[in-house]
Amino acid sequence: MAARPATPASPKNFKVQPPKPGQPVYGCEHLQRLLNQDQATTNTSIQHYKSILRSILDTTPILPQTAKLSEGQIVTSLTPTCLCLQCPMTLTEDDRNKHGNKKSHRFYVDSRSGALFCQMCDDIVWDPTFEDLRLKKVGTGTFSTGRKRKHDELFASDPLKESPQYISTNTTVASCKANGLRGIYNAGATCYQNVVLQSFLHNPVLRNFYLSDGHQSINCDTQHCLSCAMDDMFQDFYAVENTNGYTAANILSGFWISEKKAFENLVTTKEQDAHEFFQFLAEELHERNGDGKKPEIGSEHSCDCIIHQTFYGKLQSTTTCQHCGGVTNQVQSFLDLSLPLENLAQKKGKKGGAKAHTMTLQECLDEEYIKSDKCEYRCHNCNSMQQARRQTMIKRLPNVLAIQMKRFEYKQGRNERAAKIDTPVHFPLQLNMLPYTNRARTQDAKDNHELARSCTYDLLSVVVHVGEIDTGHYVSYCRVGDQWFAFNDHKVELAAKSDVLGARAYLLFYIIRSLA
Amino acid sequence: MSSETSETGKAGVIVAPNDASPMDKLAHSVLDDLLYNIVHDLLIKVHRDEKMARANTAAIRVEKLASEASDSSTPDAKPDVRIETEAAIYEDGQVLLKGNPLKTTKEIICPRCHLPRLLYPTDGKGAKKPAPGVVYCKKHPYIEKPGFDIYGQTWVAPGPGRGKKKKDMEKKLDGDSANSPAAGAESSAKDRPPNVLSYPSATCSKCKRCILVTRLNNHMGSCIGNSGRNASRAAAQKISNGGSNAGSQNNDNTPPGSQKGTPLPGSRAGSPRKRDGDEFDEDADESDPTNPKKKKLKPTPLPKKVILKTKAPTKKEKVKSTSMLNVEQKADDEISAVQVAPKKSTPKGPSPAKKIKPSSIPKPTMPSPAPKKSKRDRDLESESSGTLSSPPQ
Repeated sequence: MAARPATPASPKNFKVQPPKPGQPVYGCEHLQRLLNQDQATTNTSIQHYKSILRSILDTTPILPQTAKLSEGQIVTSLTPTCLCLQCPMTLTEDDRNKHGNKKSHRFYVDSRSGALFCQMCDDIVWDPTFEDLRLKKVGTGTFSTGRKRKHDELFASDPLKESPQYISTNTTVASCKANGLRGIYNAGATCYQNVVLQSFLHNPVLRNFYLSDGHQSINCDTQHCLSCAMDDMFQDFYAVENTNGYTAANILSGFWISEKKAFENLVTTKEQDAHEFFQFLAEELHERNGDGKKPEIGSEHSCDCIIHQTFYGKLQSTTTCQHCGGVTNQVQSFLDLSLPLENLAQKKGKKGGAKAHTMTLQECLDEEYIKSDKCEYRCHNCNSMQQARRQTMIKRLPNVLAIQMKRFEYKQGRNERAAKIDTPVHFPLQLNMLPYTNRARTQDAKDNHELARSCTYDLLSVVVHVGEIDTGHYVSYCRVGDQWFAFNDHKVELAAKSDVLGARAYLLFYIIRSLA
Repeated sequence: MSSETSETGKAGVIVAPNDASPMDKLAHSVLDDLLYNIVHDLLIKVHRDEKMARANTAAIRVEKLASEASDSSTPDAKPDVRIETEAAIYEDGQVLLKGNPLKTTKEIICPRCHLPRLLYPTDGKGAKKPAPGVVYCKKHPYIEKPGFDIYGQTWVAPGPGRGKKKKDMEKKLDGDSANSPAAGAESSAKDRPPNVLSYPSATCSKCKRCILVTRLNNHMGSCIGNSGRNASRAAAQKISNGGSNAGSQNNDNTPPGSQKGTPLPGSRAGSPRKRDGDEFDEDADESDPTNPKKKKLKPTPLPKKVILKTKAPTKKEKVKSTSMLNVEQKADDEISAVQVAPKKSTPKGPSPAKKIKPSSIPKPTMPSPAPKKSKRDRDLESESSGTLSSPPQ
């Protein structure tokens, strides 16, 4: 508040949200009175609320957490404080009533969430106008809706199609029972497909694409098109009342018929690798929806198909010659990040003794995208082979970040064998990817809360492999709203966060917060 | 944290002992404050969901009354009436709250179907009997009950026999150990309670046969992929190329090691897992006469030709073979993709089968009619497959 004084004479008049059916116009009677006084009061209230939200969400928390006691003493607390909506005071909960009685200021903002408290209701109120601002700020970091962002373009459509009239005449309302929560039957060792399909089904970006007719199976004349099969599956999950498991026959046959050479190995009736299937499905859907070009491995491939918009990011590797100091940059696209576990597990094992060593996802990411490694390379300046340091970092983060833990390691050498690494890796519900991007190093990003927030990801789904390397079972966890569900083939059950976080993840899907 | 001497934080749950050092007290009060914050955040979230749902319920109700009060000829227009309920006022086309919806409104109405929401699960943890005679919104709270899914459904255990090996049964039971009501019950659909489901069948998009879902992958493997497409393609190509160079090519593509895996009855030990799969296949596809017979018959009458099948075992060893085989296999695939794949369903398809099978074998030359049929229906099939093959459920 003090940091960013509101511009006193804004030319724009703020309006309360127009009445919507099925929703009251104001959060409570008292707020209704405040916002109906005159335009000036409405303007200052909304403007002040916005500046409070900025100070809560964009700056260090110490500012809104510091309150002035009635005795004039200044305290900083860990617990939430109350920011007065009508004056620039920050109060503790105990002093709130005193301030209210003295100044007749009745509305306060909670410093942790930005929620609005009404003293006369003696309760938090959820006003459509204020709540809309709060959600926008928390969600996208900005109040404006007009600003073009990369994911706005994703859903951009012409304004005619946005009108409620158009929507109501051209859409069908699905039953309240159809919520996308169905199992998928195992068609005989196809659990590796089921887990990936479930993670696609509960991916909001892909769901919105398919449910908004992003790929209509009626208009597609490709034979055995996998994207059509996906479209049908999304329809069956989100528009049909059926709670029985789904039979992914079309996906399966599309998969068998596919001509994809790189994944020839997959097409068998045996247990397979879920990660390979993920790659297969992603590339197949890219070809059906995208520019038709095959993504070249190791190159910088850009395409505006749904798969690229969802999963693809860019990596930049910088090679610095140790002899002449020359730097070469190389950029390549990635569908997912693969994290080797073995080296780190061994390193940790040495340090921590033979005890069950655990690692964190962040440690694995540190190893790959912060630390540099030595390599040999042919330097153009020196014109000879030189020692070099190579560092890889993320140049562009994807909307949905897929991470693979390399749990299946193939050991070469005398006793060749494939082994599964069962080391538990702790992963967070909330992941900050800023330290692994090149932006973290180019600017002083330590204090930039806004930047950090734009790189914050929320866990979306987890694929777990149980059992041995050559035989086992895949299960997955997916989040719908705030509730987690466990998917075991056709069976869907409620899952606690502790179940999810305790799982030995093989694949992790994180979704960027500012999209959700 | 306002006073240095406090033994606890705002929640007052984590309390330092009286004789604790100031540092201990600080640590306790910090931890206590953090606990308070966690509870605070959770509470705000729940409060928001609940209060907004109730406020919207109040609004929906008063709007409904308003539209009933006015003439219902124009449902979209805002009726020009003033309606007041306990919880809200409808005036000038907008809804204003009266009091706190948490106090004035007791139930929640679904904003979409305008029916009351069921607030407790009907079974399992926290279950309550729903009020009789009330039509609820179809979105129910999820059921949390061991052995049942979120809808209170369970499945009949896959019965013994019918292609199920002991190993599979054990695995299944591990997973659904609590699944007692259905376990072992070989009950028919009639005397099953409605929440006990059986595995459905699905239509194979190629041959249009109805296959039990648990066997679908195996079926498609043999129907579309011929149990590893490599095998069929390579075999077809070699046969169509004639026997002359087939031998040498065969040697190129098949690592010596994997030839041990030739699926002769005597050499089972060579690749046990492969055989397991085949056994499963044979049992599973009883409804599908073409493939098992092909498989069963091939090895016995003409052991020499069977070597062609050795491509299948190589796939089993894909992990190992990648390094040495990749290039050759790729090249081979490309050829076969261009030349053989389209021919699979054209007259070339049956021909290799005929070559293999000497005329001495009486009737089981099923493979030839099947592909012919598929050739005829090919266009029709592929066009309709998108919609037809979705399982009838």
